[in-house]
Amino acid sequence: MSALEIRNLRKAFGGLQVISDLDLRVPSGQRHAVIGPNGAGKTTLFNIITGWQPPTSGEILIQGIPVQQGRPDLVTRGGLSRSFQKNMLLESVTVLENLRVACQAFHASRHSMFRSCRSFSDVVRKAQDAAEQMHLDNVLQRNVNELSYGQKRQLEVAIALCAEPRILLMDEPAAGTSPDERANLIRLINGLSSELTILLVEHDMDVVFAICDVITVLSYGKVLATGTKAEIQSNPRVIEAYLGQHHA
Amino acid sequence: MSAETTLGGSKWFDVLKRVPPWVSHRASAVWFLPLAASLCTLPSFASGYAMTLAVEVMIAGVFASGINLLTGYTGLVSLGQAMFLGLGGYGIAIGTALLGWPLWVSAPVTLVAVAAIAAAIGAICTRTRGVEFLLITLAFSQMFYGAAIKLRWTNGSDGMSGIPRPDLSLLGVNADSPSTFYYYVLAVAVFALVLLWRIVNSPFGSILIGIRENERRMMAMGYAVANYKIGSFALAAMVCAVAGILQSQYTYFVNPDSMSWQASGEGVLMVIIGGANVILGPFVGAAVFVVVKQALSLITDEYHLFFGIFFMLVVAFFRGGVLGAINTLIGKRR
Repeated sequence: MSALEIRNLRKAFGGLQVISDLDLRVPSGQRHAVIGPNGAGKTTLFNIITGWQPPTSGEILIQGIPVQQGRPDLVTRGGLSRSFQKNMLLESVTVLENLRVACQAFHASRHSMFRSCRSFSDVVRKAQDAAEQMHLDNVLQRNVNELSYGQKRQLEVAIALCAEPRILLMDEPAAGTSPDERANLIRLINGLSSELTILLVEHDMDVVFAICDVITVLSYGKVLATGTKAEIQSNPRVIEAYLGQHHA
Repeated sequence: MSAETTLGGSKWFDVLKRVPPWVSHRASAVWFLPLAASLCTLPSFASGYAMTLAVEVMIAGVFASGINLLTGYTGLVSLGQAMFLGLGGYGIAIGTALLGWPLWVSAPVTLVAVAAIAAAIGAICTRTRGVEFLLITLAFSQMFYGAAIKLRWTNGSDGMSGIPRPDLSLLGVNADSPSTFYYYVLAVAVFALVLLWRIVNSPFGSILIGIRENERRMMAMGYAVANYKIGSFALAAMVCAVAGILQSQYTYFVNPDSMSWQASGEGVLMVIIGGANVILGPFVGAAVFVVVKQALSLITDEYHLFFGIFFMLVVAFFRGGVLGAINTLIGKRR
């Protein structure tokens, strides 16, 4: 069974067909990138997979179970977690509090009203572990609005990992980062468990090639090609539509 | 790193951290202990007028605290919380004055009924956001206000009178005495304050704060945000209803005016003046509101005009309210 399977997916906004007849299979443990020019439907695809937007038609299965549209919380609980293209963080609180709240979502204590959140030390410890995993342990007590952009991108991924997902969707995790921050992010993502299935949307081809085994190219909402790095790099249609000669 | 540092460094907890573990914070004890001592001994040295003001401040503080839970901590600005203030008053009036139930039965029944009504209303209101939420809560409030005016069995616009104060004869005191009633209101207000402090520092409270900060992120984390918003709405309504119960016991009377939009607006003003998302903010706001209003009304009949100017000055120069300004000053001095 595939970790993620998309069948005949269509999405239209009024008369504009953003995604048409899209099929995608991501086996467990695969690092899969979705690339394509702006407007190809990549973020819309992510929003549909994670339950934020309903498809016009088609089916999305996570571990064989259909996604319940309109309930992103249930998608996360079903084992699929995501990071966002634009940072979606709890800006006025600390890094640790962001991670603690994320870890708490899967802990029985989340409904507790009369005990201090500090008293659930296992949740705090898990948040600290998530921070360590993404090299944020030295900024735990800093407010999010004091972090560098690169650190915020790392926190985005760390929050998604707090859900202990089986599938991780990352929407342009390296966007806006410096070369050093990008290299660090690649190292951190490559250090994640090999059992974790990753679906990545990214414009930076160096990031894509450094992380992913399989690449799907979208163009105008349709799959142009799917294959390994070498296959994609040598595909003339992909070179013409997206890559250009630089990455070929 | 200790678990104690979980919330450290977050701006909106800076003032909050000076609340109940206050006593253990040496610096905070400097102002907390005299304040607590003053409140406990007030009836022994204050005039009847001062005690009346103190009771009004505490009742208004409890009401504004309910609004603060919803507005300051969950980020849902409501202009309809007075409906729950009124429902609390009417609930206790119906239970005690109309049905003859004792207070210890009427009060819990009232609070449970208010929570159930609020959950139903909240399920509708929390589907909206921002101005829409504000207007839909206002609409519900006006609906209850209109119903209270028309209902004959609650005496329409005349309201209901003869609401008894609690029977404290077991303690050898009479709640009709101003000083006893003062202590009764003080006990309820402190209980409500401690309870709210526990809630906002709990995992549930941190979810509400997360919703205020970024609702979409909380959904992506796996939280059923809609349910938590309804929970916050119902809890806030219960706190407002407690204030309504106290208010009706204080005046022995309840009428539809307690549900008016002006009452809701005044509650929101208190939160803004004192400082939203700070646990003591509503009480400070209520104190400033009641005292300034009384002082201005002694000077001029046109006190509303000057109170409006006062409010504008607070908003313009005290960002984060009185406690927010104090917090900023403390931060600068450090």
